[in-house]
Amino acid sequence: MKTKIAILALALASIVGVLRAESGPSKKDTAALALPSTTDTSALRVLGEQRYRANCGRCHAAPRKFPPRMMATVLRHMRVRATITDEDMRLVLLYMTQ
Amino acid sequence: MGFAVRHWWTKSGRRHRTALPPARAGLFFLGSCLFLASATAVASAQSPDAGEKPVPILTGTAGAFSFVTGGQQQLDAQVNPVLLLPLGEHWLVEGRAEFQGAFQRPPGGGPYGGPVSKNLDYLQADYIANKYLTVDFGRFLTPFGIFNERLYPIWIRSIQQDPLIYPLSAESSDGLMLRGGFPANPRANLTYAVYVSAISTSHNNLQSDRNVGGRIGVFLPGPRLEVGASWQKLLQDARANAFGFHFAWLASRLPLNMHGEYARSFQGSGYWVDGAYRLSQLHFWQKAMRHTELAGRMEQFFSGSITPDEAGALGLATANTREGELGLNYYLKDGLKAVSSYGRQFSSAGNVNLWSLGIAYRFLIPLGKVGTP
Repeated sequence: MKTKIAILALALASIVGVLRAESGPSKKDTAALALPSTTDTSALRVLGEQRYRANCGRCHAAPRKFPPRMMATVLRHMRVRATITDEDMRLVLLYMTQ
Repeated sequence: MGFAVRHWWTKSGRRHRTALPPARAGLFFLGSCLFLASATAVASAQSPDAGEKPVPILTGTAGAFSFVTGGQQQLDAQVNPVLLLPLGEHWLVEGRAEFQGAFQRPPGGGPYGGPVSKNLDYLQADYIANKYLTVDFGRFLTPFGIFNERLYPIWIRSIQQDPLIYPLSAESSDGLMLRGGFPANPRANLTYAVYVSAISTSHNNLQSDRNVGGRIGVFLPGPRLEVGASWQKLLQDARANAFGFHFAWLASRLPLNMHGEYARSFQGSGYWVDGAYRLSQLHFWQKAMRHTELAGRMEQFFSGSITPDEAGALGLATANTREGELGLNYYLKDGLKAVSSYGRQFSSAGNVNLWSLGIAYRFLIPLGKVGTP
């Protein structure tokens, strides 16, 4: 039992250590993850790319872009499979189709 | 041990089953229906796809692999077609089948031979009620941890063998599931899934148990870190509980992603942690290096309160086992990758080397007219 606890503690410490060492996004980057109240398409595309990398890249290599109607189906599937939020799905779809 | 033999073992080792009291099953079903009715009543009428009309798609994976475990070679070929059929603005019908051949030479020599299995992994209807709730019913992948639902396809996993703890939870369930993901605040998304599986069958291609369970997770978009916990209660046989924890992390400054799970049930417990690092930051042979990935996995399994024979029948290791694997993958093009790995397994039942070599492909075919990319 002590061995299990030691292994879990070591794994947790490693993750925390890597997270701290791997300088995460700046406050500016983190703030940009919030959806702005703008209709500026280019700003939404930038957000879409961020959401795309954060959501899709967690599980698999980045796929290439497919035609819009295919992407709509793929994103509906991934919304269910990976419990992607509605907002993220819309932003990723925008990024992947424009 | 390897994913190639998992179904084979599982099929050969179904345990006897006892029926769930009808009153209890009815209570779960009634509760789920009431929740569904109340959720649907508040559902908004927004389109989930932001204007693009989705088209039906036939997708999936195909692969061929050679696994060598302790000197015993196994050839594995498989096709896993996935059908995605969007209906209207809120529905998606989706299904995945698995056709897999696992071939070995008999102990005395001779030609390769072995079983060809056919399984229906899931066939479900998804109703996207609103941005907080999706209702799934039919046969679905059990949301326990993250491997079964998200990392199982051969073009996604960085190490091809299944984790040792994978058989601890049901692969597929038949019933009703409520799930969703929504932002709790700008820095955190919450995800959840709760389900009830109402059918118990030991049919070769449609195995499932009666159980209830759920999973909850938090995703932090800033550090790109996801953590969560799962729980499952079997409503038959030993009526045992299982629980687990998981994490997924994608580095911001490095082409690195990591995943891990811990699971525990009366059948055993254990954990695995894997990572995949794309060599795109190396300054030599960049054209090749950016397609190359180094992968590794460390895992451990502790036997539970079942006999070694029962464990083997479920696809679990028959004794306490440790395992480490290193892999080298090369992405030939989008959706096509060559995979290889070497590992060493340490167990009181014997230490063995684990080799794998193969190729995995993801295909995507529209079943209708599509726009321009």
